[in-house]
Amino acid sequence: MSGFRDGRLAALKAKIAALEAGGRADSESLPFGTPQIDDCFLGGGLALGQWHEFTGAGMEVETAASPAAFAALVAAPLAQRGEAVWVLRRDDLFAPGLAGLGFPAERLIQVCARDEAEALAIAEDALASVGVAAVFAEVEAVDLTAGRRLQLACEKRGSTGFVIRRRPYGGQERRTASGSAAATRWKIAPAASQPGPGEFGLGPPRWRVELERCRGGRTGAWLMEAQTAFTWEAGHGPHPLRLVAELGDRQLAPAEPVRLSA
Amino acid sequence: MDKAARAAGLRAGQKATDAMALVPGLVTAEAEPEADAAALTALVDWAVRYSPAVAPDAPDGLFLDIAGVSHLWGGEAQLVADFRARLAANGLHFRCAVADTPGAAWALAHHGKGAEIIAPPNGQADLLAYLPPAALRLEPQATAQMERLGLRLLFQIIGLPRAPLARRFGKQTLIRLDQAMGRADEALTFRRPPHPWFARLAFFEPISALEDLQRVSFDVAAKLCARLEREGHGAKRFVIAFHRVDGKAFPLTIGLSLAGRDPVRIAKLLAPKLETIDPGFGIDVVTLEAEAVEPVSGRQVRLDTSTEAAVEDGLAPLVDRLTNRLGEGRVWKAVPVASHVPEQSSRHAAPLKPATSGGWNPEAPRPLRLFRQPEPLENVMALTPDDPPRQFQWRKRVHRVLQAEGPERIGAEWWRADIDTISVSHVRDYYRVEDQEGARFWVFREGLYSAGAEARWWLHGVFG
Repeated sequence: MSGFRDGRLAALKAKIAALEAGGRADSESLPFGTPQIDDCFLGGGLALGQWHEFTGAGMEVETAASPAAFAALVAAPLAQRGEAVWVLRRDDLFAPGLAGLGFPAERLIQVCARDEAEALAIAEDALASVGVAAVFAEVEAVDLTAGRRLQLACEKRGSTGFVIRRRPYGGQERRTASGSAAATRWKIAPAASQPGPGEFGLGPPRWRVELERCRGGRTGAWLMEAQTAFTWEAGHGPHPLRLVAELGDRQLAPAEPVRLSA
Repeated sequence: MDKAARAAGLRAGQKATDAMALVPGLVTAEAEPEADAAALTALVDWAVRYSPAVAPDAPDGLFLDIAGVSHLWGGEAQLVADFRARLAANGLHFRCAVADTPGAAWALAHHGKGAEIIAPPNGQADLLAYLPPAALRLEPQATAQMERLGLRLLFQIIGLPRAPLARRFGKQTLIRLDQAMGRADEALTFRRPPHPWFARLAFFEPISALEDLQRVSFDVAAKLCARLEREGHGAKRFVIAFHRVDGKAFPLTIGLSLAGRDPVRIAKLLAPKLETIDPGFGIDVVTLEAEAVEPVSGRQVRLDTSTEAAVEDGLAPLVDRLTNRLGEGRVWKAVPVASHVPEQSSRHAAPLKPATSGGWNPEAPRPLRLFRQPEPLENVMALTPDDPPRQFQWRKRVHRVLQAEGPERIGAEWWRADIDTISVSHVRDYYRVEDQEGARFWVFREGLYSAGAEARWWLHGVFG
């Protein structure tokens, strides 16, 4: 009886997975190579053919440097599959910096959009194009309709979207995302780096990474570091990101239940 | 060969050593036949202003057929005067002759007395009589033979019986003689003006509906692309112009990242721009011009079953769509430039440019975001002379520096600047610093430390 139930469950799960993959048989994923992180995802890694959202905090809301660096490293192994397109609102992405992280800047096409709607439309167009493996879009927020459109564009060719949320300089927050069609949502904050033993100065960049939302999976929080030995040309080299430590549950239960005064 | 050279005893065809012996301080230069030919072509193109029929006469001459056009200048003499004035203004020395036949004109221009000779109609025989046989454009052997037989001037040859002349000096001699005297035709190879890459459609009834504009833009593109395909060319830029009934024209331009000739693609790129056309009372002519035309070979079907998509399939149309929608400068690929100055070390290049070898120095840390203008830092606390800041304020927030790295001293590119503007104040000392939250900044101090002067600090970028 139990065996029969398990079989039925597995079949149903496969059916749901097939539905979610939009009828594509080859729904792939990009594993981080660390079981602590990979177990959080349904497919054993970051789902390809979907789009992912990266947000920053504090100062990063406007500069979005850490989310961009983290997203670039997550996407770096995709460079072997095709070109990358980076949709900007401000032309301040510095290619030597990307190259220094190990991202193939020579395979990156940068596009500067004039407004938010145009940035989303370009991202959608690029995602649906042949020969584009990854699309980065720096936008303020993606609402449900735009997110759905991005998802449909991703499914067309199996390319992966990386939405980096960034507020224009000096502006107030105009839009807040109300619900999201993203496969995962990450919150990236910089963390103090640790130089190697016997070295001084700054170590490789580190980030406090929170997986806030993961469709079909679990959330988590980690401290991660850029792998210095990473090069994108190496086929089966290490993942560009290295897990340093698992961070505690960020939603700590309040020490004392809040008393409601009558 | 000018007068001074001739006075010194130099002549064309002389050996360089002989010439050096005559004039010890002679400056010599390599002959450049290709450059000469290119210059002649340019001159021929320019000479079209006098007559549509211009034929180059390599290596150093040109024929101008001025039959029926000289009256526009008020006569042959005035035409020659204009010609002389314009060439002299450009520093070109020349000899020219006007005659009934190309052969006579050539003979007078090369061997006649005076730099400008205008032969009266049917009067070339008298003028040619006292020219040497070389003026007939004969084979060198024939000329040498004539010299040997004492035939030094043309009137001696003109008077000879024709049959022995042909037997002794070759049939060519007879033909050249007849051509010079106007008894035989001479075909000149006139330069053909480049056929413009241009297509035009005219309508019986003026059109104004948007669907019609879309359809005719495809039709005219198909017309031009058929010719491009036939001649193995493609273009990178297309300018379509809709000519209204009232005479106004509305040009639209689209660009392609790779030279192409696919009318469907061109029409697709034009379609979103057609809305800006104001048809008024209707459009009766549409023209399409191709610019930046270059040879394009046909596309070969790939035999290998590579999964990697060809550039023409996906990326090129995407880049074209984006470029035409956003404008030329908004789509790019960053390529390295050999410069230490950070803001100059990366350059915008065409998005489909193949990757070049050599890149940025991986040892030098560079920020992920580089500000276009460095932003000033306030309340900077740093040990003198060369320590990184301990604390700074940027955008009203105080950052305490916990770890720092540097300095990396980057100087101005003094070899590009004027000697007066070079100074130590153009040196920047860059530090990579990390604040209490782990955020990494790229800050620099302007100039070298000098006692008494307050150091100025700037934030140039942030690391991810």
